[in-house]
Amino acid sequence: MKFFSLVSIEFKKIRRSKILLILMVAAIILWLPSIFNADLNFGMQAEGISPENNFLIQGFMGMAWFMFPASMVVSTVLLNMTERSNKGILKMLSLPIATAELCLAKFVVLLALAAFQILMTALMYFVSAGIASQMQDYNFILQPLFVFKEAGLIFVSAIPMLAFFWLLSVCIKTPIFSIGIGLASIVPSVLIINTKAWFTYPMSYPFFVITSEYGKLATNLDTAQVEFIPWTPVAIVITILCLSVSCLRFGQAERR
Amino acid sequence: MSFSLECKKVKRTGFTPAFLFGGLLAAVVPVLNMAVRSENYLGIHAAPVQILLDANWQMMAMLNILLIVAGACLMYHTEYADNAIQKMCTLPIKESKLFFGKVTLMLLMCIVVLVIEAASIAFCSCHWFEMTSEVWIEVMKNFGYALLLMLPSALGSLFIASVCKNMWVSLGIGVVCVFTATMLPTRSFVLSLFPFALPFQIFAGTAENTACNFMIAAVVEIIIIGIAEVLFLKVRRSFE
Repeated sequence: MKFFSLVSIEFKKIRRSKILLILMVAAIILWLPSIFNADLNFGMQAEGISPENNFLIQGFMGMAWFMFPASMVVSTVLLNMTERSNKGILKMLSLPIATAELCLAKFVVLLALAAFQILMTALMYFVSAGIASQMQDYNFILQPLFVFKEAGLIFVSAIPMLAFFWLLSVCIKTPIFSIGIGLASIVPSVLIINTKAWFTYPMSYPFFVITSEYGKLATNLDTAQVEFIPWTPVAIVITILCLSVSCLRFGQAERR
Repeated sequence: MSFSLECKKVKRTGFTPAFLFGGLLAAVVPVLNMAVRSENYLGIHAAPVQILLDANWQMMAMLNILLIVAGACLMYHTEYADNAIQKMCTLPIKESKLFFGKVTLMLLMCIVVLVIEAASIAFCSCHWFEMTSEVWIEVMKNFGYALLLMLPSALGSLFIASVCKNMWVSLGIGVVCVFTATMLPTRSFVLSLFPFALPFQIFAGTAENTACNFMIAAVVEIIIIGIAEVLFLKVRRSFE
């Protein structure tokens, strides 16, 4: 079976899971406080950031710090539970498919869910910025190209984190531990982005990237900037390591 | 009978170790914070417990509430996973008894987690601040308050978990609720009554009047969620 058809089968499996609804509700709730507190964006002279940029970045920071990683933990639970709940995984493993490919197909679905949520957040940004513009009589809507560039940055920087969450859900069979470790690992990312060793902690990448973008847009604010040299190799190594271990471990417990 | 049954059900799910580990993790937060940057806090003129809670409680409460949400989802997942709940429904006990058994277990685990955290706060205030006999009373007051305010979110997440048959749906709703709680402005009293936002409140430094209001609100929320669960189960049963 071709890899592409494997991926499309995985998409069929989650068709009735209501996960898209949950991801969408999270994206909508994210922008509600921004709409109600839109007037606060005008008091950012100390940071030297324009109101419309502040509106976008504050929302994206809210997403990158907790909502997006936590939703991805939920998505990994979904991908695992759909297989395990009725022993579907046994049927999949009995087919002449490489388990590594099956594992990667599921990871692609996870990436697609991540992309969907980020896309929804970006689209909801335009809606909420439109509403805020009406309410405050000031144009909050930024260039779509710029918004999608920021959203793309979050997505790319989140790939190592997604690989780590996927590793957790594949390797740890007890659901509460994989969920607990995943959710608990998000909380300290606020502290870790302020240390020098942030690039060793994949859960802090999206938040770090968006914080450094904030620093770029705010002229008076000095946040740590992305340094590609230690970061990119480390991130690639973490991603490959997590994915290869999860490919090796996928289905092992069931085949014993 | 229901309570001991619940204990048996969670025996091999890793529920107890997860709560113990989560409690320890949250307890490490103030110790680490004091060990790394105690100079930031030693100069503040306030009660030691208040300084420690102001500095660390946001993160500790976040860990606690995530633990509660995950634990609640797991408790009902064991029921729904292999249709065990159908067998439970055929027994001559009320379905709501199942829920309150789970609430009791959750309450017990919350107490365990908070005791671990209270010990860590007490240790920090003895080690880095001067030891006074009032510390223990202060810690007890604060964590008793924290326990009461934690219960609405525990009941709420159990309610969500009992409504949804799939674990990811209940976990997803729980996560969205926690996220909403972190986004709510803290200044508004009405908005901070959201069950998932209550655990972020600190007793120390809060006016007695406000603290009293929060406690009343927590009790009211507990009763409302309890009644809602009983009604929901009755309605669902009649449609099955």
